[in-house]
Amino acid sequence: MNIRVGLRLLQTSASSSGSWIWSSWCRSLRPGLRSGPSRGMSGSGRGTMNVFNREMKRKQKSWAASLPDSHQYDYLRDEVRGHRSPGRVLFVFQDSVERLFMTDKAHRPTEIQTHRVLADEEFLPFRENTFDLVLSSLTLHWTNDLPGALRQIHQVLKPDGVFVGAMVGAETLFELRCSLQLAEMEREGGFSPHVSPYTTVTDLGNLLGQAGFSMLTVDIDEVQVYYPGIMEVMTDLQGMAESSCAWNRKSLLHRDSILAAAAVYQEMYGSNTGTVPASFHILYMIGWKPHESQAKPAKRGSATVSFGDLSKINQPSNKDPS
Amino acid sequence: MSGSNNVWSRNRERLRLFSEVFAQCADEAAAYGKCVAATTTGRQELKKDLCAREFQALKTCFTHAAKKRTK
Repeated sequence: MNIRVGLRLLQTSASSSGSWIWSSWCRSLRPGLRSGPSRGMSGSGRGTMNVFNREMKRKQKSWAASLPDSHQYDYLRDEVRGHRSPGRVLFVFQDSVERLFMTDKAHRPTEIQTHRVLADEEFLPFRENTFDLVLSSLTLHWTNDLPGALRQIHQVLKPDGVFVGAMVGAETLFELRCSLQLAEMEREGGFSPHVSPYTTVTDLGNLLGQAGFSMLTVDIDEVQVYYPGIMEVMTDLQGMAESSCAWNRKSLLHRDSILAAAAVYQEMYGSNTGTVPASFHILYMIGWKPHESQAKPAKRGSATVSFGDLSKINQPSNKDPS
Repeated sequence: MSGSNNVWSRNRERLRLFSEVFAQCADEAAAYGKCVAATTTGRQELKKDLCAREFQALKTCFTHAAKKRTK
């Protein structure tokens, strides 16, 4: 990896910065942003999916940040950020980082010169080729236009720049989803989605490739957290600002269904100590912006050795073929 | 949260007590859970009120336990 002196970083992460500042900035910043980098982005191939109510997500994040004991919900974020990349990556670069642009509430003070920017992942307010490194920790699963967001990240990176990200995906919270589904089916005769849709590993790989990243690495990590019951799972999700904000979510959950779901969850997934697990599948991804210095696959016909020579490698010196 | 603060905080309190009360009806909950879980493996499809009897037992136990707690 080519570590440059004078790196510029962009880090977006899953928390908001101070409630009142957030909302007023948000309103004044949005109209201007649309005419910025996204002008060159629109065209054929840009998805117009609108799955999540981003306004609602902002309100949820502000509310969660304003809770007096909001730190107790940070365990998942700390697991991803503190002990694994991208948090670790930040420390690696600390000596050579020139400037850091953060779009989240800083959890630890750094000596790096930091600029706080309020930015929406889908409308990045930065010029092309500005950053050496972009980090994203647990926010991309709420973007409406994930291909577009990845493309914008690709744009703001310099050639030979890298994007390191972690997002929640695949079969996260499948226990919660299945319990609610079965309970609502039995109690009400039908069910509506309560857990938001996630990206699978293969899809993410394809999306990164389509956005123009090369030398991809996508990895999945399963974190299982044990809770006393379904209510604690849901309360903690709310405290983490991970409540569903999909447009198609039902705003009401009948208490009968909650009771039924609690029983189903306990029976189907409960451990023998009475606690229930909730799975978070974190997808880690690394993608590089193409550059001539990067290793490329060799040209066809440029081979200098043949596979047939492999059998000759382990020949002992007494010429005994074995 | 908009609206009266009282209603919301009262509801939050009730939600917090849910687990305590629920723990007292473990048997009924297990019976209902087993009934529903059986549809995922067996040939029987899950229909509305398939496990209504078990659910009623669970609900009565739950409301009793809740009343006892608030007394």
